[in-house]
Amino acid sequence: MNWTWFHKFGSPKWFFQWADKWGKLIFYIGIALFLVGLVLGLGFAPEDYQQGNSVRIIYIHVPAAMLAQSCYLALGVAGIVFMVWQMKMAPIFMKAMAPIGAVMAFLALMSGAIWGKPTWGTWWVWDARLTSVLILFLMYLGIVAIQNSFDDTKLADKAAAIIAIIGLINLPIIKYSVEWWNSLHQPATFVIGEKPSMPSEMWVPLLFSVLGFYCIVTALVCWRMQTELLIRERRASWVKKEVTKHGV
Amino acid sequence: MTYLSFLKSELLAVFYRKQDTINALAFFLIVITLFPLGVNPSADFLEPAAGGIVWCAASLAILLSVESLFKEDFNDGSLEQLIASGLYLPITILIKLVIQWCAVIVPLLLLIPLFSQMLFLPWSIVHVLIFTLLLGSPALFLVGTIGAALTVSLKRGAVLVLLIILPFYLPVIIFATGAISAAQAGQDYSGQLAILGAISLLSLALSPGMSAVSIKASMN
Repeated sequence: MNWTWFHKFGSPKWFFQWADKWGKLIFYIGIALFLVGLVLGLGFAPEDYQQGNSVRIIYIHVPAAMLAQSCYLALGVAGIVFMVWQMKMAPIFMKAMAPIGAVMAFLALMSGAIWGKPTWGTWWVWDARLTSVLILFLMYLGIVAIQNSFDDTKLADKAAAIIAIIGLINLPIIKYSVEWWNSLHQPATFVIGEKPSMPSEMWVPLLFSVLGFYCIVTALVCWRMQTELLIRERRASWVKKEVTKHGV
Repeated sequence: MTYLSFLKSELLAVFYRKQDTINALAFFLIVITLFPLGVNPSADFLEPAAGGIVWCAASLAILLSVESLFKEDFNDGSLEQLIASGLYLPITILIKLVIQWCAVIVPLLLLIPLFSQMLFLPWSIVHVLIFTLLLGSPALFLVGTIGAALTVSLKRGAVLVLLIILPFYLPVIIFATGAISAAQAGQDYSGQLAILGAISLLSLALSPGMSAVSIKASMN
């Protein structure tokens, strides 16, 4: 297999220019997909026969929850890439990704709470899924904290990568233990996992908004990486060229 | 320096820093005292909660005692000497950790019958609590060491270590308290103990190497 396309992402200059070219486009595609999903979901999808209109928050809640998990997976993989191949773009990606992942986990928790109030009558239950997202949120906060507490960037990168890798190993264990704990302490409260088979008018908008969320997050990560690149590579000649291009 | 002389000097260091062990135990005791005062001192509440209270207090006490594992050696330069000595770093970390484990957990285990009576844990359950501590606490020490190694160069790393490491403690706490409540309900608890042992072994496989990488990164 030819890996040259991937190696290009290891070059700060190449990535900066790639993100400059494609970032906005990805962002607008994401916004468009998300808006289509929202309009279809809020305006045209049928009401749920049990939950009524409150089910429509699913078009925010599910994408946020999916992104919260995907972002952590990406963080862990980037951590491994950094520790194994010492690719210098990997920690920049992690630095850009971690706060966004935290926001996504927070959004999933908040929208879940808002959804829970009318449907279950409570803002919060110690359900396995809710609890694991809460722990995921805390793990994001830990990574963000460790990225920001070292003066030495190299050390901060390594520390964040190590914690992300341990987190990746631990996530299945935590998830399993929380599920086991839940089945022990909370017999038969709510089964959130079992969705009724949705009609296509409901899942097509969901698909749109999930894809939209992925595109928006990709664009945001690109932009945050560009900022981080400008800071870290400030002594490189291509950065000077890039900055003076816009007439500063 | 050989492994044996390192072991000797570490044992001496722990012996001369008895105050650290006393601090960890005092911290453990005060956390345990918080629960009856803060929530409910009646046996109805404390008896089913005792396992969880002991484990929460133990996790915090262990993490705080592990957090400063490399601090002094880092500040007086002996950590640098250790890296330069040619000894295999993961092994020396493991030696340090085993000594620290003995210094904190052995006195804690000796005091557990006393603490468990303060929390109205029945005598017939105390040995289960001791088993969970024996099998689960190595995982807490091992995972905490990675955090201590990562933050060794920070002046104020304690809160950071708590924030990044405590999420990884949750499975151990869940299975340990699960074993205790299973024993209280008269059920078989060997499965939970087996999982605790498995988590400790997994940590044993991963932690010394990762801690060594972290320490080397901190020294640059």
